[in-house]
Amino acid sequence: MRSDTTGSWTPVALSRDLPAGTVIPARIPAGPIALWRSESGCPTASANRCPHRGMSLSHGFVRGEALSCVYHGWSYAKAGNCLRIPAHPGLTPPEAIRVKTYAVEETGGVIWVAMGEPSSSPMKLEGLLALRSLTAHAGIAAIEAAAGAKAGPEGLVEPAEGTEAICLLLSAQENGETLIHVLLRGEAGPAARIAASRAAESLRRKAEDLQKKGIAQ
Amino acid sequence: MTMQAMIDEWYPVGLFSQLDQAGRTTTLMEEPIIVACDADGHAKVTSGNGRTLPVLVRYGHVWSSLGEPRKELFPIPEADQPGRRFVDVGCVRVRCSPLRAVENFLDIAHFPFVHTDILGAEPHTEVQNYKVEIREDVDEVWATQVKFYQPLAAKSASGGITTEYMYRVPAPTCSVLYKTCPPRPSEWDVITLFVQPLAEDLCDVWPWMALFDDVTSMTDLIHFQQTIFLQDRSILENQIPRLLPLDPGMEIPTRADLTSVAYRRWLKRHNYTYGAQLVAQ
Amino acid sequence: MKLYDYILSPSCYKVRLMAALTGVKLELRPVDFHPGAEHRGPELLALNPAGSIPILEDGDLLLTESSAILVYLAAQAAPEWLAGSKPEEAARVQQWLSFSGRLTASLGGARLHEMLLRPGDIGALQAQGIAALRELEAGLFEQAQRGKRFLAADRPTVADIACFPYVALAPDGGVSLDPYPTIRLWSRAVRALEGFIEMPGIHRLHELKPEPTVETGDA
Repeated sequence: MRSDTTGSWTPVALSRDLPAGTVIPARIPAGPIALWRSESGCPTASANRCPHRGMSLSHGFVRGEALSCVYHGWSYAKAGNCLRIPAHPGLTPPEAIRVKTYAVEETGGVIWVAMGEPSSSPMKLEGLLALRSLTAHAGIAAIEAAAGAKAGPEGLVEPAEGTEAICLLLSAQENGETLIHVLLRGEAGPAARIAASRAAESLRRKAEDLQKKGIAQ
Repeated sequence: MTMQAMIDEWYPVGLFSQLDQAGRTTTLMEEPIIVACDADGHAKVTSGNGRTLPVLVRYGHVWSSLGEPRKELFPIPEADQPGRRFVDVGCVRVRCSPLRAVENFLDIAHFPFVHTDILGAEPHTEVQNYKVEIREDVDEVWATQVKFYQPLAAKSASGGITTEYMYRVPAPTCSVLYKTCPPRPSEWDVITLFVQPLAEDLCDVWPWMALFDDVTSMTDLIHFQQTIFLQDRSILENQIPRLLPLDPGMEIPTRADLTSVAYRRWLKRHNYTYGAQLVAQ
Repeated sequence: MKLYDYILSPSCYKVRLMAALTGVKLELRPVDFHPGAEHRGPELLALNPAGSIPILEDGDLLLTESSAILVYLAAQAAPEWLAGSKPEEAARVQQWLSFSGRLTASLGGARLHEMLLRPGDIGALQAQGIAALRELEAGLFEQAQRGKRFLAADRPTVADIACFPYVALAPDGGVSLDPYPTIRLWSRAVRALEGFIEMPGIHRLHELKPEPTVETGDA
C-alpha cells in the first residue's frame, strides 16, 4: 500500500451499509470521519468533530440534505458550512463555522474517500460484488499471510484458491486493526454469499491467530 | 497540566451513608485512596502510602483533598433549610475530563436533543439571553435569569413549563443549580454535580439534590436524576478531545454558551487546568 | 402486571420496550438498585432469591427471567412477536433468546464495571462482548442474504428485543459498535419501530421527526 496517502482514495464503507438519511463512523488516514448520506442519496465525508463542543458527528442524525450534531443540533451542509444553530433560530451561522469535508466517490458498491485532490478515480472493481465489511484485530501483513497473497497498491488482496472466490479490500485502521471489505467474484445467490461470509470469518480468525503468534514471538 | 492549583481543593470521594470500616478503595487525581469510617462512625480517608488526608462530611458526601485545603467547603445554605429532602443519587463513572462533566452541567442548549421530551423538545430550542458574572467577593461563576421551556422539568412537574435556572460554580469540579420548584414557586430546588477527578480524563460523578417534594418517592427522585445524567454520559464519552480545551480557537461558542465561556475563563485565571488542554493539538 | 423496574437496567428496559411495542400496560415499581442495592433487600429477595431484576408479577405468576417475561407479554398481547409455525424460525428465536444471556454476561458486565464500578475482569468481559457482537453481526448478515431484516424472521420477534438493549449500550462498557455495519442497520430498524421507547444511553432518532420551522422569540 502507498505510504503517502495524500490524494489517494481510501475504501471506507460499502454502499449497502449507508442507506439514505443515515450517518456512520468511518476512518481515513487523516482521522475519524462522519460518513453520511442525505435523503436524496448524496454521500458526504465530514470531519468527525463538531466545531462547537467537539462532539463526534457520527453520533448525529441526517435530516434532508444536512447532518446534525446530536449534542446541540447544529447542522451542516454537504459543503461543510453550518446551516443552523437551534439555540439561536434566527441567526444565520457565520461562514467561519464549518466542518472540513473530503472528496467522496462511490463505485462498485464501495464508498471511497480521499484527502486532498486525487488525480485519478478510485480503482474499478470489475466483476466483483461488495459483500460485507469486517474489522480484524490484525495488521495487513497478517491478513496477507492468512490469505496467501499480497495486497495490491490499492489494498486489494486476491487470496489463493480454496477461499470461495472472495477478494479482500483492506484499509488500515488505528490500534493495528484492519478494515476488510469482502468482495465476491461474479453473481452469487444467497447460499454462495453466506458461504463467502463464513470463509471471510475463517480468514479473519486465521489472520488474528497469526498476529497473536507474531506478538508472542 | 498543572495539578498544583487544584490539589488543595476539596473533592467528593464517597457517600457518607455508605461508609463502612472495611473501606472503599478509590482514586483521587491518580492517587489511590481508601475511604472508610472508624469505630465511632467518623469518616477517614487514607492515601495509598498510609498518609491520613483531610476529611469532612457535607451534603451527604465525604470530601477529601490530596493537598492542604485553605478554604472551607463552599456553602449551600439550602442544605440546612427545613422541609427539604436530600437525595443521594450515587456515583456514575465517566470517561471524560472532570471539567467537561461540569461544563455540560452548565449547558441548557442540549436539552431538546439529549434530554428529549424531559428537559427540552423541538421546536423549543431557543436560548434566551441570560446574565453571567464572576462574583469576585466569593470567587464563583454565576449564571442567572436562565429560562428554558421544559416538557417535564422535574418529577414534581405536571406538563410543560418554562423553567428558570441559576447556575453556580463554587469549585473547579462542582456546580450547584437552582431551579424552579414546581410545588413551591417561592423556593428553588437545588441540584448539584459533585465531580471526583480520578484522572485528567476520567471521573466519578456524584449528583446530589435538596428538593421540596413531599410526594415523589425517593427512588423515583434518584431515577429521574440518573436518567438525566446517563443521557449526558453518552455525550461526554464522545467529545473530542477528552480534555476540556481552554484554547479559544479550539471550540466555537455562541451567546447560549456564555456560562461555559466564563467557566473556562475562571479556570484559566486560577490555573485550574487539571483535565484541561491548554493549546490546540 | 407489575414490573419491578430499574430505569438503567437493560434487562428491565427489554420488558418496558416490549410492553410499549405491544401496547401492554405495566405497573412500574421502581427499585433502588443503585446506590441503594434494594434488589438485595429482604422484600425483593422474597420475590426473587437470585437477587436480580426485572421481576414480573401477574396474579400468582412470578417471572424473573427477562426472556420469559418477553414471551409472556407477546403471548398475551401480540403473538406475532413469537415464532411462527416454521421449525427453523422457532429454533432461531430460541437460539437468539439463549444467546442474549451471553450479551448480558459480557457487555452487561462490562457496562456495570465501567459505569457503576461493579467488580469484574474488564478485559475478559469486553473480549467476550466483542466475540458475541461478531456472532450477532454475522448472523444478521446471513439473515439479510435470506431476505430477512431481523434475527429470526423478516419481522421483529422477542429475540430482537432480547438482544437489542445490551448491544445498543455496549459503548457504556467501553465496547465500540463502530465495526458492525449490519448491527447498525438492525439497531436502526428496531429504533424505528412504531411505539419504540428509549432508555438513557440510547438516543432518539431525531431524524424521524421533521426539522422544525424556524420560530424566533423577540429576544
